[in-house]
Amino acid sequence: MTTRRAFLQGTAATAAALTLGFRFAPASAQEAETVFRPNLWLRLHRDGRAVLVLGKSEMGQGVRTVLPAILAEELDLPLDRIAVEQALPGPDFRRLSTGGSTSVATLWAPLRKAGAAAREMLMAAAAQRWGVAPADCRTEPGFVVHPPSKRRLAYGALVAEAARLPVPKEPRLKDPAAFRHLGQRLPRFEGRDLVTGQAKFGSDLQLPGLKTAVVVRCPVLGGKVQRAQVEEARALAGVCAVVEVPTGIAVVADTAHQAFQAAQSLRVEWDEGPHAAFSSKAFEADLRGRLDAKGETARAEGDIAGALAGAARRVEALYTFPFQAHATLEPPMAIAQVESDGCDLWVGSQNPNALHERAARRLGLKPEQVRVHVTLMGGGFGRRLAWDFGMEAVEVAKASGLPVKLLWTRPDDLAFDWLHPMSLQRLRGGLAADGKPVAWQHQVAAPSILLAWMEGRRSPGIVPSETNGALDNPYGLPALEVTYHEAPYHGPLGWWRAIEAVPNVFARECFVDEMAVAAGKDPLAFRLDLLGPARTVTLGQDPVDLGRLRTVLTTAAQRAGWGKPLPKGRGRGLACAHFHGTYIAEVAEVAVDARGRIRVEKVTVVTDCGRVLNPLNAEAQMEGGIVWALSALRTQVTFEQGRVEQTGYGDFPVLDYGGMPEVDSHFIASTLDPTGLGEPPVLPLIPAVLNAVAAATGERLRTLPLPAERFA
Amino acid sequence: MARFQVVVNGRERAVEADGGTPLLWVLRDHMALTGTKFGCGEGVCGSCTVLLEGSAVRSCQVSLADASGKAITTIEGLSPDGTHPLQKAWVAEDVAQCGYCQPGFLMTAAGLLARKPRPTEADLREAFAGMVCRCGTYQRIRKAVRRAAKELAQGKEVRP
Repeated sequence: MTTRRAFLQGTAATAAALTLGFRFAPASAQEAETVFRPNLWLRLHRDGRAVLVLGKSEMGQGVRTVLPAILAEELDLPLDRIAVEQALPGPDFRRLSTGGSTSVATLWAPLRKAGAAAREMLMAAAAQRWGVAPADCRTEPGFVVHPPSKRRLAYGALVAEAARLPVPKEPRLKDPAAFRHLGQRLPRFEGRDLVTGQAKFGSDLQLPGLKTAVVVRCPVLGGKVQRAQVEEARALAGVCAVVEVPTGIAVVADTAHQAFQAAQSLRVEWDEGPHAAFSSKAFEADLRGRLDAKGETARAEGDIAGALAGAARRVEALYTFPFQAHATLEPPMAIAQVESDGCDLWVGSQNPNALHERAARRLGLKPEQVRVHVTLMGGGFGRRLAWDFGMEAVEVAKASGLPVKLLWTRPDDLAFDWLHPMSLQRLRGGLAADGKPVAWQHQVAAPSILLAWMEGRRSPGIVPSETNGALDNPYGLPALEVTYHEAPYHGPLGWWRAIEAVPNVFARECFVDEMAVAAGKDPLAFRLDLLGPARTVTLGQDPVDLGRLRTVLTTAAQRAGWGKPLPKGRGRGLACAHFHGTYIAEVAEVAVDARGRIRVEKVTVVTDCGRVLNPLNAEAQMEGGIVWALSALRTQVTFEQGRVEQTGYGDFPVLDYGGMPEVDSHFIASTLDPTGLGEPPVLPLIPAVLNAVAAATGERLRTLPLPAERFA
Repeated sequence: MARFQVVVNGRERAVEADGGTPLLWVLRDHMALTGTKFGCGEGVCGSCTVLLEGSAVRSCQVSLADASGKAITTIEGLSPDGTHPLQKAWVAEDVAQCGYCQPGFLMTAAGLLARKPRPTEADLREAFAGMVCRCGTYQRIRKAVRRAAKELAQGKEVRP
C-alpha cells in the first residue's frame, strides 16, 4: 500500500539502508591515499575536514545544522570541521526527498552509526600504527589519543590507513550523557551568510551566458495556446528568444526586467479547455453533496448508526477548509542548462530524484548525464516536492537552446501552485444522558492529493492518507466511524506544512470542544476522559502513546493557566495532535473586542518529540508552525471562471509582524529517539484559536478563512 | 537604454539600462548584488528593501531613473563583514530560518533605527507592516531589533 507517508519515507529508509549497509564507495587508488570514505555519506580528508554528503534539502528547517551535529557527535569532531555537500540524485542516491518532518527521525540512527564506525576505524588505524591495543585508545575532538603513552594523532593523518580497514558492523555508540553538541543551542549553520546577503539561493546563482526566462501560461488549468503574437516581444531590447513550451509561451531575455516586459507584450489567445467554468463556490457545493453520499470507510468501530440514533443528545457540525497555496517567499524558480550530451539543473527542490528522472526521460539522456543540484531555497513547505517548475525550465532551455533561469512571478505562484485542496468535514457526535460521549462520526470530503501525485494511479493508500488526523483520532468511543468522500478535481494538488492533516485535525479538535461544551464538561477534562489511561494503541498506521499525549495536554494547560479567570472578551482554547511520533498540545489565548475582532495574544505550546537535539531551532520550528497556522486562518485560494482569483500577499494575506502573538515553547524532557518538529505545531493551532474564541464569546467559527474584518 | 549613475554601498556605479528598470533588478542583474530579494514585485512583502538616502524603500517600486544620483545601501553594504549591530543581533537570536526574507527585514530595521534609535513596539509594527516571513520568525525579529537597539544605545553612551 502506498500512502503519502510511505511514499516520502521510502526515501529515507533507502538512504538509511545504504548507510547501515556501509556500501563502499569505489575510491580510486589515488583517492584512497588522501580520503577516507567509509560510505557514500561521509568523507574524511587528510586535512582533518569531514564532509557529510547531505541527502536532505535545507529550506529553513535546520537540517544543515542538526544532521552534521549528529555525525560530529559520534565521530568526535568539532562542528566547524564538518562541511556539507548536497547529494546528487542518480544511481548513487536514488531516493532523496525532504518532507513529513522525517529527516532527523530517520537519519538519527544511521548517522550516529556512520560516525561511530568511522571513529572506531580511526582508533584502530592509530592503534595499529602505535602497536597498541585499540581498547586503550580514546578520541578527543579531531584526534585519536593513547593516554598511557600520551601519544596523539590528528584524524587527517590516519585517513589512508583507516580507509584500508574493515567497517565495523556494530560500532559502539556514545552515551548520550556525554554528548557535546546535541542538546545544546546550536546556531544555524549558514547563519552569518543569511544576514550579510552572501547566502546563495537558487534565484541568486549565476552562470556564464545565463538568461532569464518567464512563461506566460493559460490562466485556466489545462488550457492551451491557440494563437500567439510574439513579434512585438521578439523585437524588444534584450529579448533572446520567444518559444512555445508545453505550459505556454516562454520569453527569454538578458535580464529579468526585460523578460517581464516582453512577457507583458505578448498577445496570446488561449483554448481554455474543459475547466473554464470551474468555480470554488460550486466545488464547495459539490463537496457538500458528497457528504450525503456513501463514503469509503477509513475506520469503523461499534454500531455508529445505532449509537447516534440512541444518543440522548446529538451534536453536528460542518467545517470548511479552503484551497490553500504554499506561497513560499522565494517564488518557484529553476536554472536549466541543456546540452546534447547532458543537462544541469540548479533548483530548490525537496524531491530532486523526481525531477532527475523526468528530465532524463524528457531529454532522452542517461541518468548519469543529468545533474540536479539542490540549492538553498526560500521556503519549501511541500511546494518544492513538485517538479513542475524544474521541468518547465528544462523545456524552456531545450526549446530556446539557451541556459535559462526561469522565474515565476508572485501571481504565477498563486495561479499555478499545487494547492492543498478544499476540504469539507462533517462531524456527528452522540452523548448519553449523563453527558458521556457514545458516538463519533467524522466524514471528510476532499479531492485526493495522493491520487494527483500518483498521476491518477489508484492506491489503497488514498483513504488512510486523506483522512490522516481523522483516522488516527486518539479519543476512545464505543462507536466511531471515519469515512472519506472523494471528489474529482482537475488541477495539480500538493501537500502542505503538516501534509494533509490540517483540515482533519482542525475539525476533530474543534468538534471535541463542541462535544465537551454540549456535555457541560471542561474541554481539558473531557479530552483526558476520552483518551483514557496512559497506554500505547495503534491508530491508523502509527502506534500512539496516549500517555505522552496526556502529558503534553496537561502540561500545556498548566503552563497557560488553564482554568484561571480571564477578563471579559478573553478566552483560552486548547487542542492537541500527534504526528509521526511527536505529541503536541497548544493553548491559545485570544481577545475578542466589541466589534468581534480577534487578536491572538499568546500561544503556549508543549511538545514531546523525544530527545531535543537543538533546542534553539526546536523553538524556532514551534514559532514557525504557529505562524503558518495563524496565516491559514486568513488565507484562501478561490477560483472563478476557472481562474485563481488571488494574485499576491495583498489578497493572500499571510500573517505579518503585527499579528504575531507571544509564543511560549516548552519541550517534555525525554531520552527517547528524536522525532519531527517542523510540522506538528501547525496542527493544534487553528482549533485552539477557534475554541478560544468560543470560550470568549460563545461563537463557533467553523468556516475558514475568517473574514479580514474579524482580525484586530 | 540610457546611462545612469548611482552610489551603491559607497561606490559610484554607472548602469546602462532602461530608466524604468526597478532598482531591485538593477542591483540583482546589473551589479550581481543578489542579497536583495524578489518576493512579490508589487511593494508588499518587503524582501527587496534597501536604504535610499538612508530611508527604507521597496526596491521593486523604485525605478532606476528615480534612484539616479542617489545613495543606496543594500544588505551587502550594511557592514563589510557582518558586524553591524543588527547583523550580530540577528545571529545571536538565530532569527533566520530559510533566510530569504531576512535582508529585507534587516534593512527595514536599519532604516528604523537610523531615524528612531529607541523604537517602541508600535514603531516596529509600523516599520514591518505588511512584510512577510513565511517561516514565521517575527518573535525573534522583535528580540533581535531590541538587542541591536540596546547595543547601539550603549555604544552612543560610551562614545564622547
